[in-house]
Amino acid sequence: MSASSAAYRPAAAMLGLSIREVSQALRDGRVSATELCRKCINQIQRTRYLNAFITITEETAMEQAQKADSRLRTGKPLGPLDGIPFSVKDNFCTENIESTCASSMLKDFAYATLSFLRSGSTDGVFGPVRNPWSYTTQYREQSTEDPDSDWLISGGSSGGSGAAVASLSSFLALGSDTGGSTRNPGSLCGVVALKPTYGLLSRHGLIPLVNSMDVPGIMTRSVHDVATVLRILQGRDERDSTTVQAPSTPTSLPEHFDIRDICVGIPKEYHAPGLSEDTLAQWSRVATMFEQAGARVQEVSLPHTQHSIVCYHVLCCCEVASNMARFDGLEYGHRSTVDSSTDAMYATTRHEGFNNVVRGRILSGNYFLLKSNYERYFMKAQQMRRLITEDFTNVFRSGIDVLLTPTTLSDAVRYSDFIREDNRTRSAQEDIFTQPVNMAGLPAVTVPTALSRRGLPIGLQLIGQRLQDWKLLTVAHWMEQQVSFPMISFHSDADERELERSVRERTHTIGS
Amino acid sequence: MVGVVGLEIHAQIQSTSKLFSGSHVRFLAPPNSLVSHFDASLPGTLPVLNRRCVEAAVLTGLALNCTINKKSLFDRKHYFYADMPAGYQITQQRVPIAVDGILVYSHFEGRKRNQVVTKSVKIKQIQLEQDSGKSLHDDERSQTLIDLNRAGVGLMELVMEPEMCCGEEAAAAVRELQLILQALGTCQANMAEGQLRVDANVSVHRPGEPLGVRTEVKNINSVRHLAKAIDYEIQRQMEVLQSGGTVLNETRAFDSKSGFMPEPNLPPLFVYESEASVPGGVDPAQAVVIDRLSTQLPELPSVKRTRLVETHGILQEHSFTLVVFQEMWKAPEKKVGQIVKEQDLWMINDKEELQKICQRVVDSHPEEVQIIRRGNKKVLNKLMGEVQRETKGRTDPVKVRAILEKMVS
Repeated sequence: MSASSAAYRPAAAMLGLSIREVSQALRDGRVSATELCRKCINQIQRTRYLNAFITITEETAMEQAQKADSRLRTGKPLGPLDGIPFSVKDNFCTENIESTCASSMLKDFAYATLSFLRSGSTDGVFGPVRNPWSYTTQYREQSTEDPDSDWLISGGSSGGSGAAVASLSSFLALGSDTGGSTRNPGSLCGVVALKPTYGLLSRHGLIPLVNSMDVPGIMTRSVHDVATVLRILQGRDERDSTTVQAPSTPTSLPEHFDIRDICVGIPKEYHAPGLSEDTLAQWSRVATMFEQAGARVQEVSLPHTQHSIVCYHVLCCCEVASNMARFDGLEYGHRSTVDSSTDAMYATTRHEGFNNVVRGRILSGNYFLLKSNYERYFMKAQQMRRLITEDFTNVFRSGIDVLLTPTTLSDAVRYSDFIREDNRTRSAQEDIFTQPVNMAGLPAVTVPTALSRRGLPIGLQLIGQRLQDWKLLTVAHWMEQQVSFPMISFHSDADERELERSVRERTHTIGS
Repeated sequence: MVGVVGLEIHAQIQSTSKLFSGSHVRFLAPPNSLVSHFDASLPGTLPVLNRRCVEAAVLTGLALNCTINKKSLFDRKHYFYADMPAGYQITQQRVPIAVDGILVYSHFEGRKRNQVVTKSVKIKQIQLEQDSGKSLHDDERSQTLIDLNRAGVGLMELVMEPEMCCGEEAAAAVRELQLILQALGTCQANMAEGQLRVDANVSVHRPGEPLGVRTEVKNINSVRHLAKAIDYEIQRQMEVLQSGGTVLNETRAFDSKSGFMPEPNLPPLFVYESEASVPGGVDPAQAVVIDRLSTQLPELPSVKRTRLVETHGILQEHSFTLVVFQEMWKAPEKKVGQIVKEQDLWMINDKEELQKICQRVVDSHPEEVQIIRRGNKKVLNKLMGEVQRETKGRTDPVKVRAILEKMVS
């Protein structure tokens, strides 16, 4: 497309492009990196009622955009992502930018590790991030109440990342996935979210929750974009002893791919109580889609599934208790003013810095790790973990290529409903389909398939074999093309003005 | 009743950088100048194993006749203390790198203190673990100062079975271990500088009966001090029991609660028997190979001494001294003073101390003193022999004789 033709796009529409498209636009000179950066920052400002961002590094981002522009002008971009702004969950350590994990324990904490990261940090790990879909016209027309007083959750814990990508503020957001924390908001916000194989992406710089399950997660608006990013990020890092060599990966997903070569497994244990009608309908719809296209679709069994969530919680608490032991206020982070003794300082610092969810996990974890309890809880949970992993191995060995399951029980619920149950109960429900994947270290991706009758996204999960992330994404790509999910798009300028005005009237502040 | 002594020894690995991070290992650097992000426990940092430390542990294990575990594991031992920033220490609780070794040592016995007795003590295991930082308590200002330079330095913990009976045996065993570690170059083993830290577990019992309650003797900074402290503790326990009391252990309670958990950021540690056994996916240059390390083992001190005796006809007790000279020759930067100090060979010249020792010998031999006073001067030699025995020959016989003669007259 030449610069003078109808290649010109309205300013805002550029934000709705995929990484592939905007990367091409940058190379063609149809938009500059600085323009793009400015657009993203404006969009972030426009959607600040979503509460998705903790820190916006406007200056740094613009500086880096300028540098990208000079590289693009001389035809020497660093790679396919050069010039494209992205967001990062606030538990990744970023050079000279605060990483707080949205916690008062780490307020004002920053040190340098990863150096390629650019624009703002995102996410409230425990703060209220709103689902951008609750602000689409469709929903508001349907609701009889003022939607701003009864907003929907975006899922978590990478909720900010999900909201950022869904609201077109970012082309890419990095999250982290321990039990589903990237896939869950991916599903609720209607974006593509990948949890890669454990060990494929380095955890150096990622503030850990559960070291044996954490993986950096990738969120974008298309499967092809996720593949592009995966290819750049994957591989052994000598600073993370748990990383592995990436399998050799082609430059892009295959153009032509015969779905008839694929066998899709439907695990019967994933028909969980609480699964919504809409989600169940989507699951059937997509399974049928695979079948009608000639793929083999069969029911399989993962017999230990029912025990997974409990074991996940035990192991999670143990590792959390261990990983949080370092937050004592001595070397960095929040330190209490109480200084009558070291012990007193530790105790008050930790009480002030951690909320009751974290404290609960620490206490539970320490309990499970007591000598007298170790075998009964920790060892048992690890043994169950091995059985769960073997369940998957057996299924894959029997000829299944990928598994198809729901990602979440339903579409996004209202915050007021969500808080009716405690965190422990909610976690058990939210993570039900996603955490066995972390227990087994496998790759899994959520792909948005349709809108529910409430006008909210529903996503389905594909689970693949260890280190077969590329094959997984190939199948996901096919699925994405078949389901024709309606992406969030911009209204016309007139609609936009109307949207802004009504939001301005109803916006109020909610503390995080 | 007899004493039962077991030793737990922490030997600081002689390496350029720390066990899990690249910060340097140096004694007496400015406080907190050798601290990496990982050492300070900044979240998001991960441990990366230092190969040199693994090799040091394997070499030490081979020199002590241990079985080297081809697969060993790392664990976290949790406790809160200011000098342990992460709130846990990375150690090898479940499967350490080496097990079931033997340390052969000798000490002098006999009237002339020239009879060499060879003993051995079993080494239960050798494990790799992190050292902690140092804390300085400033009571005046009610504050504690923390220096993390030492935090994360590699340690080999050697656990010996409780097969020794007294301070002298423990001291002899430690001296031999120091020589071995120095010969290997895996640890400089200077107790005063904290490169070798020895804790003794001491109990008493009647032979045949179950072992008694153990107490710990810690914070020792010389071999001589170790022997004395152990003997003192044995004596103390015996007195407690003989007067009908019970021995209390105050430090053990701390251990039983602390939680262990496998270290999730470190995969199992593999070392290989030979080049041939290194599997395909592993770079042989990166691997730790036992055969290769065996060829690097130097002649160990005991072998050297045997060679001196057998080949050169040197008296056995002199072979110990010569090994010291060997040390000097091998490590010229080490001053004689350092070696003599490490091996605890200084001659006692302090008048007061000599007086004390002589007084003790005189007091404990009333019969002999009487015999001497009645005119049999030869018996003075026996007293002199006692002094020499107590001081392990580190006194000038002329001076001792003069003091004894004065005391006895």
